[in-house]
Amino acid sequence: MVEVTVDQLTRIEGHYRIDTQVNEEGVITEAQSMGLMLRGFERFLQHQDPRDAALLTQRICGVCPTSHSLAAAGALDQLFGVEDAVPKDALVVRNIHQGLNTIASNTTHIYVLWGTDLANPAYRDLFGNFGDTGKAVWDELLRRYAPISYRLNGVDIPVGVSYAAAIREKRRLHEAISLMGAKMPHSVLAHVGGVTYGPTLADIGQLASYYWQVMDFVENFALGVSPETWIENTRFASSPQKAVNFVVDRLQELTAASLVSNDFSHAAGWGDVPLLAAFGSELIGEEVLGLPASMKLDRTGGYSNPDTIGYLSYGVFYKPEDGDGYDPTSPPGSRVISSGYMDGNLKLHKFDHRKISESIAHSFYVDSEADRFPWEGVTEPEPEPDEIDYSRGTESRYSWIKAPNYDGMPCELGPLSRMLIMEDPLITGLAQLFRENGYPAINTYIRMLARAQEILVVASELLKWVTVDLDPSGKFAVPTDLSMAKDSEGMGLWEAPRGALGHWVATGPDSRVTLYQAVVPSTWNLAPRNTAGIPGPVEQALLGNRISAAENALGVDYTNPIGIFHTARSFDPCLACAIHTIDLTGKEEERVRVI
Amino acid sequence: MGIENSPDRFKHLDFMKMDRRTFLKAVGALGASLFLQTYRSDVVKALEFAETRIVWIHGGECTGCSESLLNGGEPDVLQAFDRLNIRLEYHELLLGQQGIYVDGEMVNTSELNSEILFEEVVKEEGYILVVEGAIANGPNGTGKYMILGGKTYKDIFRKAAENASLIVAVGQCATNGGVNSADSDIKDLMDFRGVAFTMEDGEKGMLQELGIEKPVININGCPPHPDWMLLTLGAVVLGKIKIPDDLPEVLDQWLRPKVFFPPDSVIHDNCPRRGFYDKGEFDTVVSGEKCLWKLGCKAPYTHADCAIRRWNGYHSLCPQSGSPCISCVSPGFPDSSRPFFQEIEDVGIAGTNIDTVAKVAIGASLLAVGAHAIRRVAVKEAPERKEPEEAPGKEPEEAPGKEPEEAPGKEPEEAPGKETEGAPYKKAGKDEGEDQ
Ligand code: SF4
Ligand code: SF4
Repeated sequence: MVEVTVDQLTRIEGHYRIDTQVNEEGVITEAQSMGLMLRGFERFLQHQDPRDAALLTQRICGVCPTSHSLAAAGALDQLFGVEDAVPKDALVVRNIHQGLNTIASNTTHIYVLWGTDLANPAYRDLFGNFGDTGKAVWDELLRRYAPISYRLNGVDIPVGVSYAAAIREKRRLHEAISLMGAKMPHSVLAHVGGVTYGPTLADIGQLASYYWQVMDFVENFALGVSPETWIENTRFASSPQKAVNFVVDRLQELTAASLVSNDFSHAAGWGDVPLLAAFGSELIGEEVLGLPASMKLDRTGGYSNPDTIGYLSYGVFYKPEDGDGYDPTSPPGSRVISSGYMDGNLKLHKFDHRKISESIAHSFYVDSEADRFPWEGVTEPEPEPDEIDYSRGTESRYSWIKAPNYDGMPCELGPLSRMLIMEDPLITGLAQLFRENGYPAINTYIRMLARAQEILVVASELLKWVTVDLDPSGKFAVPTDLSMAKDSEGMGLWEAPRGALGHWVATGPDSRVTLYQAVVPSTWNLAPRNTAGIPGPVEQALLGNRISAAENALGVDYTNPIGIFHTARSFDPCLACAIHTIDLTGKEEERVRVI
Repeated sequence: MGIENSPDRFKHLDFMKMDRRTFLKAVGALGASLFLQTYRSDVVKALEFAETRIVWIHGGECTGCSESLLNGGEPDVLQAFDRLNIRLEYHELLLGQQGIYVDGEMVNTSELNSEILFEEVVKEEGYILVVEGAIANGPNGTGKYMILGGKTYKDIFRKAAENASLIVAVGQCATNGGVNSADSDIKDLMDFRGVAFTMEDGEKGMLQELGIEKPVININGCPPHPDWMLLTLGAVVLGKIKIPDDLPEVLDQWLRPKVFFPPDSVIHDNCPRRGFYDKGEFDTVVSGEKCLWKLGCKAPYTHADCAIRRWNGYHSLCPQSGSPCISCVSPGFPDSSRPFFQEIEDVGIAGTNIDTVAKVAIGASLLAVGAHAIRRVAVKEAPERKEPEEAPGKEPEEAPGKEPEEAPGKEPEEAPGKETEGAPYKKAGKDEGEDQ
């Protein structure tokens, strides 16, 4: 048995470590997910004006600040008792705000944070075995995804064209966000009762113009076909089977031409998504398309036991057709991307926010209770330096991350869960395809394609919000007064790019905060063991899978455990969010916190 | 900073021959992307200069500063680095490497292993160290609240700082502790530090804690504008600011470049809603178009060029989007700006309540001479803080011959009649604003 540690796992937000035990075949037999930092800022909002939360809580995360501010705004709407009255146009502006952030965040993740691993020299070695075609594929991977300051064998590699293009696109999306939100990261805009800014007709024109520029990127870099064609044939396909067929047919055309020409460039129609869709999967790439080799990402990152995992979405994006106001409990069907809980066998259930709890059994906190519901949460960091020891094994405490559960079950959150729960035909169809062919239905490949698919799904809604639903002469806020928040409480359920995000707030008779709490997506995904000893989602996604490229086609390479990189990064870890960091609590009964 | 800096003035200048002042004015007026565009061919000449190495480390943070950096440059930050002949040697968010250990030993090479890479790059002196995020000192000075690659971040910072020729702290967390250091029950236990300050305390920076003396530039902001970061790095790389000799002159008492954080003007001076302020027309509900003073705007005492530079594509600004400025560039942020949505006359700044006299003054001046008076009175009630002279206490070593007191001390004289605008960091009581 060999101990393989990745510390730090870079190209994520924050500081994170993974410890594994790996056997001679390269199979991971033990995995520990460790958050390496405490970031508490306690008492942040205690006795404070609750309205500050929409601006302050976004400082939790510079990658998805928008989501925090909107979850906070949701909690404040209810706290002030105005959730029924938030004007429709304010809700549309919130949708646009989040939609742009989701697209920016997913894009950054796919290209800059995750995609860079496709330029790992393991793939040079792998594809190098397959003649001119293999070499052409490797050259293409390097040409697209090499990060800044990359060197291989002492040779400086130019920055990848897709990597650089994605950075420009993210920047463009941030510009679009700031048209209404002033700046990004940490925009303004989200506010109790609505938003701070009513866009003008000119803003709408500019938003549309940004939109089409981003769609140029999607067409020319990401898809190789027009976004409209893609969406029509995937999201709006009449069956999951048809959606999968559309993609596979397209890949077949490309493959037929390129296996002859050895041209896998963007110009030859190989957008980044088709390239990944073909070469990422053994089933689709090798078995269906007849490619000589693949990265076998469909064999990695899956869960071996469906009974110890679930998939959760709180739902996101208000429905403009429902007019003013919204239901803060996010019942099924009330948001554009619906709430729901899917069990490990992919059976859908109704979401109930009262089933959320969290465990600190394996985290560096001091508390008399191992499990608590969010409203009763306590965060007392371990004060004793010697107790902060990451090497004591799975029975011990080994992370600053807590372990949230839904009905006692660890859950994967994020684009994959959302696409499954909203029954997107392409992602649903892919999961079925894998399962029927003896592959894990959920795997690193489908996780990444779901993130790409979500960009398209959100983009198609975004255009409607901007050009059809948004009325610049509408209303953008209802008046509120601090006294309306007297002795009250509120809950804001939302979806950040990385998954379900909830903020909870309560106030006393002086309208000042007595409790503030956020339960954050990466906490779920990167959780350590829970009280029952069930590993967290990333841990489960590593256990039983292999560490090396392409299922050890090259033999086991403990020194380049790219299977771990792919899988762990496919969850888009955000430690700033995950670490129960931000205990915004105060003394005694006054508590404000973020897990 | 100001209108006289119209871009035209710089068009026909060879920036290689510009003196520092003109250079700083040009970057102030043009912004990073325009500047790099305008002087594209000059920059090519600059490439003959040696490559500049940058080591960028991440502590307790949200990574928003790196996100903001990625919004800079023209057409992107990668090209900006390229033109300035900057090699980003280490940056956890952007580089290909990660830390890899097998049975406890570092494996592979620096081309794949970030831990080996880090050791290699900090071994060789003479890089610019960029620090993002606060540095954990707790519990009990061990720094164990943040352990990366088996080392405390405090140690990593020490290692990286020792061989750096300059430290640039980016963002509030690194400059002043930011949200990590905000007042709380466990603040002392966690003990997060900024590089040279912790909140407004110039004695409690991590450098002082470690006894390391290095020149420091603070790029404040939550997050900082990408121009502030890129242009500062550019000015240093191109030798327009000599390290450390020029620092006392180009930085304010908080070690912020005056060109971006002008001591003699505030955001409010150039706010697009300023006309409403002057007429005394205020919004009390968000999403309107009038002045946000009554919704808590802190721009009248915030020294930054946000209103002329604007954000993200140079088009936007917090008050423009209907949200009060929360003074995210001020050393005491966020404590010094809260509550965000209440006007200062009601609550004071940083918990300092405005006294009755001031309240009467506000009332009277509003009636008598319009809203201008508010700013003066509010500023007068600035929070108690250390004398500015204490802040650059580590400068003398770096800048022999320049008294540390000189730079901050002369600000008020430089801007007669604008004293009040510089005042939030003055001790209450030194208030020239009393003439109101
Ligand atoms: S107080 Fe704020 S909103 Fe009003 S004019 Fe000044 S900067 Fe603009
Ligand atoms: S306007 Fe104020 S809050 Fe906005 S970025 Fe500038 S200093 Fe920060």
